[in-house]
Amino acid sequence: MKRNIWMIGSLAIICSFMFIFAAGCAKTPVVKEEVALQEAAAPQKEIALQEAESVTSAVETAPAKVGEVQDQGMTEKALWEALLAEASIFKDRDIYFSFDRYDLNSDARQNLGRLADWLLIHPEFEVTIEGHCDERGTTEYNLALGERRAGAAKAYIINLGVDIGKVSTISYGEELPLDPGHDEASWSKNRRDHFLVYPSRK
Amino acid sequence: MRKIVGSFVVLLILLWSITAWSKVYIDINAPGFQKYPIAITDFKNIGTKEDKKKLSVWFAYQLSRHLKLTGFFNTINPGAFLEDPEQAGITIDGINFSDWSSIGADFLIKGGFNNDGKELSVEFRIFDVVEGRLIVGKRYQDRFTKRKIMVLKFVNEILLALTGEKGVFDTKIAFVGKDRDVSEIYTIDFDGANLIKITRLESLTMLPRWSPDVGKIFFTSYLNGNPDSYIMNLSTRRVKELTSFTGLNLASSWSSDGSKLLLALSKDGNEEIYVKDIKKDSLRRLTRNPSIDVSPTWSPDGKKIAFVSNRSGSPQIFTMDSNGKGISRLTYEGSYNTSPNWSPRGNRIAYEGMTNGRFQIFSIDEDGGNLMQLTFEGGGGEAPSWSPGGMYLAFISTIGGKKKICIINSNGLNLRVLGAPGGSYALDSPSWSSRLNLY
Repeated sequence: MKRNIWMIGSLAIICSFMFIFAAGCAKTPVVKEEVALQEAAAPQKEIALQEAESVTSAVETAPAKVGEVQDQGMTEKALWEALLAEASIFKDRDIYFSFDRYDLNSDARQNLGRLADWLLIHPEFEVTIEGHCDERGTTEYNLALGERRAGAAKAYIINLGVDIGKVSTISYGEELPLDPGHDEASWSKNRRDHFLVYPSRK
Repeated sequence: MRKIVGSFVVLLILLWSITAWSKVYIDINAPGFQKYPIAITDFKNIGTKEDKKKLSVWFAYQLSRHLKLTGFFNTINPGAFLEDPEQAGITIDGINFSDWSSIGADFLIKGGFNNDGKELSVEFRIFDVVEGRLIVGKRYQDRFTKRKIMVLKFVNEILLALTGEKGVFDTKIAFVGKDRDVSEIYTIDFDGANLIKITRLESLTMLPRWSPDVGKIFFTSYLNGNPDSYIMNLSTRRVKELTSFTGLNLASSWSSDGSKLLLALSKDGNEEIYVKDIKKDSLRRLTRNPSIDVSPTWSPDGKKIAFVSNRSGSPQIFTMDSNGKGISRLTYEGSYNTSPNWSPRGNRIAYEGMTNGRFQIFSIDEDGGNLMQLTFEGGGGEAPSWSPGGMYLAFISTIGGKKKICIINSNGLNLRVLGAPGGSYALDSPSWSSRLNLY
């Protein structure tokens, strides 16, 4: 019971801090860009949901000693967690390809533009791009095709100014399908690039 | 150790051998070749002791089973036999060939055994029923426990006499078994026995390729996060890293003299074909093209290489000399042809090609002639691998929603599914070993 009160209290403190932070920073051009990015990235509902997710994630990952929440170090930690949660959004931003192709369609370019923007304003993060294929064709050719798909996305965001040292690629070919089905509905979901955005290891 | 020495020492003593023909009866590669009807009688007890082990039936059954496994024979039901087994002999003098031709047999196998409790002596003879002649006869003498080896030796003699090639009972097929996000390499004998899980790397492990001495397997694994290439020594089960360049390190083909490996690597910016000399530990790049170049396979003499490239816009099979020169496009039918495998017989290349939205197995002469579609089933065919002698192909087909290993004769007939791990495993990338020369 006592723990619950602490939890509610800390949630309230984190929420209010985030509100103050957001309001305070909105004047700086950097965050303006970030807000614009999120608005462009998803409809209003989704943003609300994402914010909720970020907060939840921050609370969940906060250390057990919630009593120290007023400590300055702790709030920074919570913010960092929130940023990590934001970075994890790109896990749900796969881009898709046609059969035996690795050229980027307009949806893919739009998604990559948002990724590049985010990486440019968060230089402490980097990305691994995973290239995937559907199950048709050979293991080897699909590994090559997955590599081309990841490479196409890499080239695109590097052209947008992202540091080449912050972009790595790996092909999984047809080995890790998102959808296990054996028809075009499944295949179209499996021909994709998947993005893992994470803090640079220093 | 004693066992090993024993099997070398006691091995089979060949007392006599008559090979009446050098003529090859069966062109197993001919598109129209079906199966030959063969009759096998119960073996005669030519010794003095009672047949307590029912060897009379056992030899006939084992011959029938293994001849059927070859895919070249149909055995005639003994219920249709006309001759009186009590009266009939096991040599040419005791056979009335019209008894056999009238029930449709092209070939007849007869045999006799003498099991004195210490040693087993067995005679095998196969006759050409139509011409009324002995094709090949053998007598083997060994311990009772070696009786299966005697059967397989004689089946090999039959195949050698009729097709010009020994059988492949002493070969294995390596393949990938995948369960969700983990895949491992397995091996299984030609007859579906002896399934072994070779790797336990708990990663994505793929593309097994045998060394010609069947002692090692060359493969690719994400063991350290990147698709790197490795070699496993099968007797020690020790895994040694071969290449771990940035990007793809795809195990592709082991030369038949054992000295060189073909790989597809993307370390120089895009997927190219490389040859690694094992002794010199040298790596040489063979292709220079901005397109995808993967899946190289040696010709049996090591002078040529077939590979996949999309340099003409879609994946197609190409051939080149072993130094990377003389590149020429092999396939023109269809817009997706991959996974070439060069027949040990020399002149044919099998591959998978897309037709009507499905992948099927094809084979083609190395100069592009005589294109043959070998599979037509709804389950399709992928990743073909030739048997020694080029008599069969193993490949992947989707059966009941699961990817399984199938075997066909080189002319596409006699499809059978190889027993393999059940459950949720999806199988891929079969690779046929050389003969172990056990029989």
